[in-house]
Amino acid sequence: MDRAIGIITTNYETPDLKELINGRTAASVPYGGRYRMIDFSLSNMENADITTVGIITPYKYRSLIDHFGAGSEWNLDRKIGGLFVLPGSVFGISTKGSRFLLRDFRRNMVFLSRASAKYVVVTTANIVANLDYNKMIDQHEQSGADITLAYVDGVRDDNDISTIVTDESGKVKDILRGVKKGDKAFVDSFVISYELLLKVLDWYAAIDYLDLFEALAADFDKMDIRLFKVEGYLRSIYSAGNYFRNSMDLLRPEVSDELFRRDRPIATKITDAPPTKYGAECVVKNSLIPAGCIIEGTVENSILFRGVTVGKGAVVRNAIVMQSCKIGDGAVVENAIIDRSNKIEAGSVLKGTPENILIKEKNELGN
Amino acid sequence: MAKKKEFIAMLLAGGQGSRLGALTKSVAKPAVSFGGKYRIIDFPLSNCANSHIDTVGVLTQYRPLRLNAYLGTGHAWDMNGRDGGVFILPPYATESGAEWYKGTADAIYQNLDFIDLYDPEYVIILSADQIYRMDYQDMLATHKKHNADLSVAVMQVPWEDASRFGIMTAKETGEIVKFTEKPKNPDSNLASMGIYIFTKSVLKKALMEDAADQNSEHDFGNNIIPKLLAEGKRLFTYEFAGYWKDVGTFGSYHQTSMELLDENPEFDLYDQENPILSNTNSQPPQYIGANGCIRQSIAANGTRIFGTVEHSVLGADAFVGEGAYVKDSVILPGARVEAGAKVVRAILGDGAIVKENSVFGSEDESVAIAVLGNEAVYGVGGNE
Repeated sequence: MDRAIGIITTNYETPDLKELINGRTAASVPYGGRYRMIDFSLSNMENADITTVGIITPYKYRSLIDHFGAGSEWNLDRKIGGLFVLPGSVFGISTKGSRFLLRDFRRNMVFLSRASAKYVVVTTANIVANLDYNKMIDQHEQSGADITLAYVDGVRDDNDISTIVTDESGKVKDILRGVKKGDKAFVDSFVISYELLLKVLDWYAAIDYLDLFEALAADFDKMDIRLFKVEGYLRSIYSAGNYFRNSMDLLRPEVSDELFRRDRPIATKITDAPPTKYGAECVVKNSLIPAGCIIEGTVENSILFRGVTVGKGAVVRNAIVMQSCKIGDGAVVENAIIDRSNKIEAGSVLKGTPENILIKEKNELGN
Repeated sequence: MAKKKEFIAMLLAGGQGSRLGALTKSVAKPAVSFGGKYRIIDFPLSNCANSHIDTVGVLTQYRPLRLNAYLGTGHAWDMNGRDGGVFILPPYATESGAEWYKGTADAIYQNLDFIDLYDPEYVIILSADQIYRMDYQDMLATHKKHNADLSVAVMQVPWEDASRFGIMTAKETGEIVKFTEKPKNPDSNLASMGIYIFTKSVLKKALMEDAADQNSEHDFGNNIIPKLLAEGKRLFTYEFAGYWKDVGTFGSYHQTSMELLDENPEFDLYDQENPILSNTNSQPPQYIGANGCIRQSIAANGTRIFGTVEHSVLGADAFVGEGAYVKDSVILPGARVEAGAKVVRAILGDGAIVKENSVFGSEDESVAIAVLGNEAVYGVGGNE
């Protein structure tokens, strides 16, 4: 029997990601130069030796499945256990912001019933963190709680993140939409015992159009729901604004060293990009640049993705430029997110402001 | 019984590469890093993949651990299919005893069982210490066209260099009439590249006879080719005109690395038509610090640059500290140039460290390239 299996839900609405989710889902939004959002959750599972992972897919699943493939990058292409694609339902009348739709679990009962584990770790795919799930499971096991919710102290006000309300004894009383700085911000990850999850799904069968925690709300007082505090860097990404701001955190070496620590690596789909080539006249400062780029111009305070070329005399400043974009000679890109496969003509100027980041939609068929 | 193949490859990867001493202290030459993110063996293996050869025997002998780990299941080169794959073939014991490979021909001879398993019509023999792109199918087509028993890939070298190579003298039709190892007075400038396509039946017979010959050194160049020529077999050249470099010495390794940095390099790593495949991992992107500077260089993932890098090749996870200066150098994966240090015209081995404020290498071009071995430490607190 496994200690834990994992479930990653990706079937939820994130309208505030705006253009970034055109043709893709929040879980497959590119992040940090060579990753996609789901890489963090998948890698955290791998690093906790979880070898059975179900991914509840969203409506727009093409780019996501293209990315995780057979799961070999996360050690999930295996005979015993492995990666399971679990079809999600259409949203229907579900409450906006639901991350853990009961119906999505119930319609994949076959996956759950075949698994053999003491615990189930459930998470979304929008969490940028190098999380130690084993620590969370340890605490859950020692405390004897029914459910253990992961939280951080909210770093700023955010309507897309939920607040966990507790009483004086630390018992969970409620989970509310929206968080204020300093509140206990739910990071959409929890541990539940396998047996209890099956029971819960049975109890609420009649109202399975609800989110798990909406259904549980009436019974919070009957259950032992405890908290696990996540120390260190963690960001939940649900809007274009916080996508940009939090991405830029990676330019602080202390943040990227913590996130991409070599003993608990964040894995991603491997491509065979050649090393990045820096030209004779390029200027590159405070930037994150993956393999496969060709840089002839200036790149400052920016994050590039694989296969980006920056032409001679071009300037990329305070910007995120995604896979396969070509920035023409002399072009200027500032305070902007340039999504995949855009060709920025030579000499053209694309500028947003620090308060109002310009987003250029991806320019390709599909993906 | 394995599925019959038309064409398989045998890759000679057993050499110690003693001329690359400090870089091969704990690793076979084919597993030495090259070009930031590759290892030397990636080049012939990628040629196989791009030539649709899906069955490759890799003959190993010296320090095979890292090479074996690197090859893994062969998935990185799309060679983990059901029929075929990458097979590591070390020397092995039999009922009559155990022996090391005594030469290139002996290595193949001892693995005739492997070749018979796939029962190919043709076998290509490759070296694992050369940087080049070649379409082996094109060479095979030429081999078939000539109805040859053996085809030898050759390239023209400057006449003044011809005496350093194994030289093939051929008729205009390409038919080889003479092979001379390092001739004093060459009558041809077609140098053998050490790449051979044999018709399998000819190969098998020649290897069995060679194995029984007490006086043979069991070497393809010195024994098998002369033997086939003497027997009047059909030997033809396959003339290759592209980029081809042997990286068997520090000088050639360094020079070939530097050539990757040319504005329009002759060997283009970015050619997506025939990509160079490698077994990479998930290092984060490179980070160039606020005071960092990198120019005319190539760098692999995981590199962190806080100092200045000019005209250099940086391997995965290489580190250049604040105020450090790196020029005309090859920094292998995981090597560190600490703050304030200077590294010029040098090769730093895997995980080597140049300590703070020390100077390694010399701008003086008459001085040989400085080499710091794998895991070695140079400077205060170091032991070199």
